[in-house]
Amino acid sequence: MSAHRAEHLELCAGLVLGALDDTSRAEIERHLAAGCPECDAELQRLSEGAVLLAASAPPLVPPPALRARVLERVRAEGVSRGAGGRVLPLPSRRPSRVATWGWAAAAALLAVTAATSWQASMRLQAEVETARRQLGEQQRQLAERQQQLDDEKRWSALLEASATRVVDLSLTPQGTAMLRARAIVDPGTRRAIIVFTNFAAPAGSDYQLWALRDGKPESLGLVHADASGRAMVRIADIGDPAHLQAFAVSLEKAGGSHSAGPEGPVVMLGKIGS
Amino acid sequence: MERVRAGDTRALEELYDRHSGFMYSAAMRILGRAADAEEALQEAWVQAWNRADSYDPARGAVAAWLLTLVRSRSIDRLRSRASRQRTEQTLAAIPAPAGIDEVPANAIQRELHARVTAALAELGPQQRTVLELAYFGGLSQTEIAAQLSAPLGTVKSWTRQGLLKLRDLLPEEERV
Repeated sequence: MSAHRAEHLELCAGLVLGALDDTSRAEIERHLAAGCPECDAELQRLSEGAVLLAASAPPLVPPPALRARVLERVRAEGVSRGAGGRVLPLPSRRPSRVATWGWAAAAALLAVTAATSWQASMRLQAEVETARRQLGEQQRQLAERQQQLDDEKRWSALLEASATRVVDLSLTPQGTAMLRARAIVDPGTRRAIIVFTNFAAPAGSDYQLWALRDGKPESLGLVHADASGRAMVRIADIGDPAHLQAFAVSLEKAGGSHSAGPEGPVVMLGKIGS
Repeated sequence: MERVRAGDTRALEELYDRHSGFMYSAAMRILGRAADAEEALQEAWVQAWNRADSYDPARGAVAAWLLTLVRSRSIDRLRSRASRQRTEQTLAAIPAPAGIDEVPANAIQRELHARVTAALAELGPQQRTVLELAYFGGLSQTEIAAQLSAPLGTVKSWTRQGLLKLRDLLPEEERV
């Protein structure tokens, strides 16, 4: 690896313009190939200048007839390219490195035309991309809301369904007088809502809801009342209504029963008549 | 460019319509003769078609790649002309061949040209000459030094200063 020297920067300039003699070119190419951050950064700057230089050519447009000639020639080439993958050799007396940096230089031209087009189009593209992402996110949220809304509609339909059964749970001797619970069941959709009032559980305990099916208890979860003692439990599928006999509420130690049935006293019970 | 690579000539037509103005202008500046510039442009497009695989989008935009192709073809042509005097003539005012200026260059070309011309005018005459002889004349720095009767070291330093100054004369927001 050759150490970076100030004169390398001048060689970079000559390289960008393709104006080095063979000896100098070989020297800077060796240096660049070994890796030199200073020279790479310099080449970037110089290329931008070189591209502006290219754009100083008086603006012309090629004769319209040339377009047809070029395309015709390309079509003829296209046959051979398609057939044999023929690739014209790139005749270059200033090979790889110059081609590379000449190219890099030209890249800046793009940058400049960009003032009116390229940059603007990149910016626009980025904006479109952002907008698309935002739209995607909004659509996702909208779909989510729509689903929530549909869900709510299904639940509220339960209250209006003609076949809905309403069961008020009764206090058992172990229940305190304040407790109120009402179950609303739609045998058609198998949905159920159970509403609780005055269900603030004593410290260290939780109320747990049960379904009795064919004589066996099945936990429907704990009843988490709000500060005013109200709670609502939604059950998306209570199972075959023919086998559902009753809802029950037990008072359990905090966290609920650890076994298949109530461990604490059953405080409310509501039989579901057929 | 993907489509060109896949052999879609319609895609090539679109590229041609978009970029051939810049390419042709550079070729004309280098070669000075419409017939030669047209040849160089044609060769560049054939090369672009045949070597579409060598275009690497990670390294820059299509227009930049095309410009390199046409400059390379033009300089080759220029060198194949034996006479050095030809170069001097080229660098003198270029008479627009009949018919050329009937088709106005597009607005992007004209606007950029005006800005760059103004920026070039602010460079010292030697710096400008050194840059033009190298880029459009295809001369090596040794040849330029001989032509200007200036020390090689001076030519090298003018080249670098000229390019950097040109770059700095254009507002930063117009660069990438």
